[in-house]
Amino acid sequence: MAEVEINAVSKAFGKAQAVSGLSLTVGDGEFVALLGPTGAGKTTALRLIAGLERPDCGSIRIDGRDVTGDAPADRDVAFVFQQYSLYPHLTVFENMAFALRAPTRRVPEADIRAKVQEVARLLHIESKLHNKATQLSGGQMQRVAIGRALVRSPSIYLMDEPLSSLDAKLRGELRLELKRIQVDLGATILYVTHDQTEAMTMASRIGVIEAGRLMQIGSPREIYENPVNAHVAARLGQPTINLLPAALFAGVPAGVETIGARTEHLTIGRGGGDVSATVKRVEHLGDQSHLHLDLGGRPVVTLADPEAGLGAGDEVSLRLNKPLFFDAKGWRVAA
Amino acid sequence: MRSGLPFETTGICRIVDDPGARSVDAMNELSASSRITYRAVMVRPGVARRIRGLSDRTLAWLFITPTIVLLLAINIFPLLWTIYLSFTNYRANRANVPTIWLGADWYQSILTDPDIWAAMQVTAHFVIWTVVIETVIGFGLAFLIDKKFRGHGMWTTIILLPMMLSPAVVGNFWTFLYQPQIGLFNYVVAFFTGRDASSFQMLGDVRLSPWAIVIVDAWMWTPYVMLICLAGLRSIPDYIYEAAEVDRASKWRQFWSITLPMALPFIMLAVLFRGIENFKMFDMVNLLTGGGPGSTTEVASITLKRAAFESWRTGYSSAFAIILFVTVFGLANIYVKALNKVKSR
Ligand SMILES: Nc1ncnc2c1ncn2[C@@H]1O[C@H](COP(=O)(O)OP(=O)(O)OP(=O)(O)O)[C@@H](O)[C@H]1O
Ligand SMILES: [Mg+2]
Repeated sequence: MAEVEINAVSKAFGKAQAVSGLSLTVGDGEFVALLGPTGAGKTTALRLIAGLERPDCGSIRIDGRDVTGDAPADRDVAFVFQQYSLYPHLTVFENMAFALRAPTRRVPEADIRAKVQEVARLLHIESKLHNKATQLSGGQMQRVAIGRALVRSPSIYLMDEPLSSLDAKLRGELRLELKRIQVDLGATILYVTHDQTEAMTMASRIGVIEAGRLMQIGSPREIYENPVNAHVAARLGQPTINLLPAALFAGVPAGVETIGARTEHLTIGRGGGDVSATVKRVEHLGDQSHLHLDLGGRPVVTLADPEAGLGAGDEVSLRLNKPLFFDAKGWRVAA
Repeated sequence: MRSGLPFETTGICRIVDDPGARSVDAMNELSASSRITYRAVMVRPGVARRIRGLSDRTLAWLFITPTIVLLLAINIFPLLWTIYLSFTNYRANRANVPTIWLGADWYQSILTDPDIWAAMQVTAHFVIWTVVIETVIGFGLAFLIDKKFRGHGMWTTIILLPMMLSPAVVGNFWTFLYQPQIGLFNYVVAFFTGRDASSFQMLGDVRLSPWAIVIVDAWMWTPYVMLICLAGLRSIPDYIYEAAEVDRASKWRQFWSITLPMALPFIMLAVLFRGIENFKMFDMVNLLTGGGPGSTTEVASITLKRAAFESWRTGYSSAFAIILFVTVFGLANIYVKALNKVKSR
């Protein structure tokens, strides 16, 4: 395991700037998640670290050594590919053992066998070890892809949405399992995901990436409570933060154009609030209910109190409770 | 980026509603299209009934009958007729002599005839060496072309040229190249070995002529093997190699454990095509050497043609043709089984 340091790295594909000026340090034994919308450049960032893409500028250091020009094989990274990239002509076992079988490593066959068995058990794919890689479901392929990385102990694990095609139950299970493995081994992991729950629960730090730029990096709590701009604020929180024009409310600090109101920033009452809104519909999601409101033509989504017994058409009043303020360009303004 | 934010801020709000709107559209579209297919299903039996009360099955038979009749006439009937003739003393140049049923006599005499075995050996030499050389060089070329160096498209076209020529042209063309005095082949060999160009005759020498035909066939058909191998190599996605790179497999190991196994079904297919084709080889060898000198290049097809149309031993040659057919058919079947095993491995 080692520290990985990315310094002002940029990469363009033709005219498309996939990553621009990305700087990021993943400490030894740290679990960092990259969160961002599709096309933000998350995969490209991982590929740059792995050496599968050459950066246009900037440098990459692994364990203090400059590896910017090195081939992937010389960097000692493990990669879980977004599209699995299994060897289709090999069995699951052979896929997972492939990296261990490198002639230069001389890992004894018994050790390989034991290691693969152990990882396969963790990932619940023991019974599939002798299947061909093509005779698997998407979720099983994804677990083989994870397993192929986990059998190794590289300087860093790069994981590109490794749990995206699993069902909710298995995803929850593997989330815990991966976190446990990471803690046990003290593994360094850079983990790309769309899923805020994964980022929040597993990562010690979250980097929010948008259009190739790192917007903010910090602990999950920091990112959630103290986002630097509206983009970052919109990444975390369920339901998504409501971004409302400041003009709708009175008593807003100067220079504020947009108000960001999460559920906890909104108090709903039957009257006597700052503004009034109409209930459009109530969505029951099982453990919670989403309340869709219409505030002067703007949609507002918040959590509903099941006790309140609100229904479509009801008039409610909203009170803001220490919301986030953003200026005309979307940047945070202190309250 | 920063200047774009306020506009995008409203965009984020809108995302909440968007998917819903889209899925409603999609559902409308779906129900519309399923309505159409539903109507189409309702219509089909009606159409069939309108064509003079014929069922779908009868119509299907009507459509394929001409093809079946044609196939029977030009493929199956001659085959059966040949099988029949192979048991008789029939001679095509004396059609009015009464034919006598001989049983398996011809088969026995063919299988014990040393000349036939010599022809089979010549054929085996030709088939094995052409297939080996074409596969090795063809795969090598495909591997290089697949590296996508500059101008690889032009090189592909140039390499493919020989394959596009007619075997008759190639036969004549190489007869000239093999000319001891003025031929380019002899000149080039002489240039590199320092021997006298007219000191050897590729087509006239009993030791060299079996190789002369191998060289011409390899020259002509290596491109074909290359093309099939190239298809195989192109079918291996780049991301497999990326995974292998990350898994720290050397280029050498990548070749042996990824490139070769994944291209193997294609290579085997090329071998099958060339093997069958060269087992039946006639035109090119006939033009180049006519089977000579002596019978050193007399491949089975030439023996067959001589028996059938020079000695007019129709029954005998029919039996030989059947033996060749069964041999190719049997070998190809065994081979295809192996091929399928490799593919499903
Ligand atoms: N090989 C390539 N050639 C050209 N453009 C590319 C290439 N790879 C990525 N891009 C572009 O770079 C941008 C970032 O792509 P990237 O795959 O890194 O996104 P991502 O954040 O991983 O998205 P997703 O969450 O959908 O996987 C995209 O606009 C994409 O179109
Ligand atoms: Mg991606």
